[in-house]
Amino acid sequence: MRQYETGFVLSPALSEEETTQFIQQMAEIVAQRKGRMVKQDVWGKRRLAYPIKRHEDGFYVFFTYDGPGDISTEMERRFKQTDSVIRFMTVKKDPRDLIRRRKKKAARAAAASGEEPARAAGGNEEK
Amino acid sequence: MPREDRPERSERGPYRKYFAPKRKFCRFCQRDVRGIDYKAVEILKKYIPDRGKITPRRITGTCSFHQRKLSLAIKRARLMSLLPYVED
Repeated sequence: MRQYETGFVLSPALSEEETTQFIQQMAEIVAQRKGRMVKQDVWGKRRLAYPIKRHEDGFYVFFTYDGPGDISTEMERRFKQTDSVIRFMTVKKDPRDLIRRRKKKAARAAAASGEEPARAAGGNEEK
Repeated sequence: MPREDRPERSERGPYRKYFAPKRKFCRFCQRDVRGIDYKAVEILKKYIPDRGKITPRRITGTCSFHQRKLSLAIKRARLMSLLPYVED
């Protein structure tokens, strides 16, 4: 089973209710197609680096899930139909990234050095 | 960059003898980072100064493995409007 990460940006014009409703719908797609939601990351409103469709802000949501590939296909089909989605992207997670890091972490734990984790490493562990 | 501009090669005078240029190293290797996440905007921002261009390896000292991951992450972040394509 592959792990995917789908991120999408919703229009800031949506009301809070509509936003949560849409996120709920997308989460249901994952559940329906026998996917397992690993992480549901809602960043909330954030300034866009450049305007898209005249929007200056966007509502960022990221889903991480395991499952068959048709989940992302279905989600993307929905995104295209919905006008309030201004950007979306699905990324395949590389399983090697997860495994190797775990090994290294274990090795480091075994060494039992009291070093505090570096900042960059901390940022990347969200993955 | 033309060859004579490179500090390691050309400036091997008495000055370089006592003050060797600071050795660059890959900051991702230092921290045992495997993959680089496109969502970690604060890290990526360090590699796109002023104009929003990706800083070449010869300046940052990033290893080729991580430079590849880094450039992919920056390009993904740009698509999601987390980072700018151009900045002025």
